[in-house]
Amino acid sequence: MPVVLFISVFLIAACGLIYELIAGTLASYLLGDSVLQFSTVIGSYLFAMGVGSYLSRYIRTGLVTQFVYIELMVGVVGGFSSSALFLAFAYTQGFRLLLYVVVIAVGILVGLEIPLLMRILQSRLEFSELVAHVLTFDYLGALGASLLFPIILVPKLGMVRSAILFGIVNAGVALWSTWIFKDQLRGRTLLRGGCAAVLVLLGAGMAFADYISSAADNSLYADEVIFARNTRYQRIVLTRWKDDLRLFLSSHLQFSSRDEYRYHEALVHPGLAALPGARRVLVLGGGDGLALREILKYLTVESITLVDLDPEMTQLFKTHPLLSRLNGGSFSAPRVHVINWDAFAWLDTNQEFFDFVVVDFPDPTNYSLGKLYTTAFYRLLAKHLSRSGTFVVQSTSPLFARQSYWCIANTIEAAGLKTFPYHVYVPSFGEWGFVLAGRDAYDPPRQLPSALRFLTVANVPELFHFPADMQRIPAEANRLNDQVLVRYYEREWKEIAR
Amino acid sequence: MHGRRVFLSAALVGLTAKGGRRVEGSFLDDGLPTGHRLTDRGRSGRPITRVPVVIVGAGVAGLCAAWRLRKRGFRDFVVLEMHAEAGGNSRSAENEVSGYPLAAHYVPVPNRESTLVRELFDEFGVMRDGKVDERYLCFAPQERLFLHGRWQEGLEPEIAVSARDREQYRRFDDRIREFRATRQFTIPIDAGARASELDRLTMAAWLDREKFDSPYLRWYVDYACRDDYGARAWDASAWAGIHYFAGREHEDKGPVTWPEGNGWLVRELMKRVGEHVRTGATVHAISPNGSRLRVLAGNADYEAELVIFAAPTFLAPHIVEGAPSAHDFVYSPWVTANLTLDRPPRERGSEPAWDNVVYDSPSLGYVVATHMTLRTRVDRTVWTWYQALADGDPAQNRRMMLGADWRHFAEYILRDLERAHPDIRECVSRIDVLRIGHAMARPIPGFLTSESRRRWASLSGRVLYANSDLSGLSIFEEAQHRGVRAADRALAILGRA
Ligand SMILES: Cc1cc2nc3c(=O)[nH]c(=O)nc-3n(C[C@H](O)[C@H](O)[C@H](O)COP(=O)(O)OP(=O)(O)OC[C@H]3O[C@@H](n4cnc5c(N)ncnc54)[C@H](O)[C@@H]3O)c2cc1C
Repeated sequence: MPVVLFISVFLIAACGLIYELIAGTLASYLLGDSVLQFSTVIGSYLFAMGVGSYLSRYIRTGLVTQFVYIELMVGVVGGFSSSALFLAFAYTQGFRLLLYVVVIAVGILVGLEIPLLMRILQSRLEFSELVAHVLTFDYLGALGASLLFPIILVPKLGMVRSAILFGIVNAGVALWSTWIFKDQLRGRTLLRGGCAAVLVLLGAGMAFADYISSAADNSLYADEVIFARNTRYQRIVLTRWKDDLRLFLSSHLQFSSRDEYRYHEALVHPGLAALPGARRVLVLGGGDGLALREILKYLTVESITLVDLDPEMTQLFKTHPLLSRLNGGSFSAPRVHVINWDAFAWLDTNQEFFDFVVVDFPDPTNYSLGKLYTTAFYRLLAKHLSRSGTFVVQSTSPLFARQSYWCIANTIEAAGLKTFPYHVYVPSFGEWGFVLAGRDAYDPPRQLPSALRFLTVANVPELFHFPADMQRIPAEANRLNDQVLVRYYEREWKEIAR
Repeated sequence: MHGRRVFLSAALVGLTAKGGRRVEGSFLDDGLPTGHRLTDRGRSGRPITRVPVVIVGAGVAGLCAAWRLRKRGFRDFVVLEMHAEAGGNSRSAENEVSGYPLAAHYVPVPNRESTLVRELFDEFGVMRDGKVDERYLCFAPQERLFLHGRWQEGLEPEIAVSARDREQYRRFDDRIREFRATRQFTIPIDAGARASELDRLTMAAWLDREKFDSPYLRWYVDYACRDDYGARAWDASAWAGIHYFAGREHEDKGPVTWPEGNGWLVRELMKRVGEHVRTGATVHAISPNGSRLRVLAGNADYEAELVIFAAPTFLAPHIVEGAPSAHDFVYSPWVTANLTLDRPPRERGSEPAWDNVVYDSPSLGYVVATHMTLRTRVDRTVWTWYQALADGDPAQNRRMMLGADWRHFAEYILRDLERAHPDIRECVSRIDVLRIGHAMARPIPGFLTSESRRRWASLSGRVLYANSDLSGLSIFEEAQHRGVRAADRALAILGRA
């Protein structure tokens, strides 16, 4: 008889520790700074257990019934803890709050378990025996859980399933207790029914764990994912919420259809409209075809070459009905020529000249992409400019990544060009920056294509004013052999993420 | 000793055991057998080509001698090279993925006193207005070190380094700065080197004397000695060990490199002097014939007024009649390997650097040929992996190296890389192994003031010795310096200066 009881102790101890580990791990996964997250999670959890132990004194009667209820509650709260936390992270602002609510709730319930159990067993064993055995199995359970968790549970089952599995264990212990303690128990059928209901619920959770994980995995994408594909080069994800289409490349937001016109009008027109004679235009990156759409508004432009690394990306934006509607079918325009090639290498092997170049690359998040923001790159690009030609570079945010932004401007200057930095507010991005560059002075355009939604001739010059918190700060030029920009960028976005 | 034991034990394990992927490959032609056929004498009665100057060996020293002769307007010479390709230790090769170095892979950004390197770099477009073109400066990230289970940027150990270690790093840097200020540690060494008591110590003894006992610092210094001299810190002269650090100014982030390593420089040199180079021509005898020299090569004989001997100097006693013995030259054997990867190994939180080193490995790590690409994305690549057989007796190591079969090397290399790249066996499709028996002269204590070295290098007589091994430090700059000096001396003797 006692052995069976001690197995229960072992199991509930393991469950308790698993929930704590899951909460700690999730918090450090999702919030970073694992030392902080683990310390605070463990601290609050232990404290809550203390509270639970204290509260156990108020449970006077019906100990076994209460114990079964508590097991069921732990099973439900703990079992669904990681699903709830994942979903909260994905869909709400309240992740931290929920985290501590879950940790405290599970802690209190787990804190109730052992005192109650000891009191239930009080009559069956001598006190010293009881304490020795219960605590031994309690600690053994903890050991088992702490080994199982990193070696088997996380790699094989994942967080969502592991938590549910241990919820099932709790509910199983509850059900089992209705037999073990049947002589101390009234209303057994009702309790057993409750246990069965909880088990079914958790079982269903297990069956749908995949949906929960994928809903949660898309946590970066708050909306419905309507397209997702891993190409050789990146992960393309398209989401939709009502009329808002959003494109993510390798988890970085590229545009939201609600306000992309602001970004793309600002990217193209201040430069291109100031060059009434422009005939040949080059777009580097920009595989979504949205910059093309803006360029196609100039009937004097005879040819547009777009160089983008990823053929699946350009193909997608050519053929997907929603996307080609968004870019106005720009990929089908006869003036547009698409080349799927690495932009730097393409420029290096090519002799063509262009009047205007749009440089719209992903942000410099690593040393590979950082090459596209170096003096060497801009020098090479300048060799492809016609005599009065200019280029414009998407240059991250002068507000959130101020030094990165000015680093790009300095880099272009170090490559021997004049720069004309400007910025624009795009709601889904925040303040966003561009650097226009050329050999001569810049005159804002006197005319813009008709039917622009954002820019007017009068407000173009205003884009070139930087308020105090975005003004130029010192930054080194970014060079192939010393990519300061990647380091600036990493530091600055890390600060934002905090 | 340790290194060798690991080396041998690799043979006991099958090559395709894990990962299930077959790796192909072979030994590269490393001239080892030909070296032993030197004693064959040429048949008599063959036509003889008369030419004023014969250069033996189309390594960097020989090619730079030729480059100098041409620049001085002199064209009456041939360069005889035993291999099918020029370049020696600076050879490169190419496959469908990339060009890649077989051995030498970089040149440091030249110091001010390295005027010859600057001249050459200017001419080849590597430097402009005294600055190296950024395309040839090693891209970021240059180096990384696998230490305590993860990669860090840079080779100086940083992970888990204590304040005490850091203090020693600082003190070491200060000492090096002082040595640099003496202007004795120059490249080429001839420009500044003076007899020094440091040359009577080993590098390890100097570290002891200066109370540098940080294990990390000592690893780093030992790594440097293995990397540049193929010698352990307890075998290399302290003067040479210090030269590695004090001989270079660290203003410009470097080094200068190309996908095919120094093979790029060889190709540029060959554009200028290739018409004089005869490959597949092993010189096996040089003897006086009246006032001239008879040079017997594999397929032709030459009669020259002067010979510039730019092949490794240890060969001279076997080839040049009347040459003194070269027994006090110690050479380190090296193994390098070119690994073709169908995909890069998975990285966790680190980006591949150009030079990738594993702490506490007997190897020196690997360089990535595609690192110097302008592309943002590469799938297939070629690595060149290096190990100096620096422990124990070089002759014994050479025998061992020749005795082991290819599978043995391949397994050894994969195991070495597996420490940092657990999935390496799923990535590699080919491993070509190059064994270089006498890869580089070792600067052992006493080399700087060695009487025999001085005699060999004196450029007296009609055979002018020019291989980089005469500098004790085997680097591009020394090879070029030796070659150019020999060319100048030849022109002076011929009255064409
Ligand atoms: C693994 C390794 C890595 C290195 N890495 C670097 C580096 O990164 N940077 C650097 O600066 N240096 C490096 N070095 C040093 C390198 O040796 C020198 O840079 C330089 O290439 C030496 O040139 P050399 O002409 O003096 O000698 P070698 O390159 O040895 O040239 C001698 C030539 O003579 C030929 N030869 C030999 N015997 C005969 C004969 N009997 N008849 C005709 N021809 C003959 C050989 O085939 C060879 O071509 C490295 C060396 C090794 C071994």
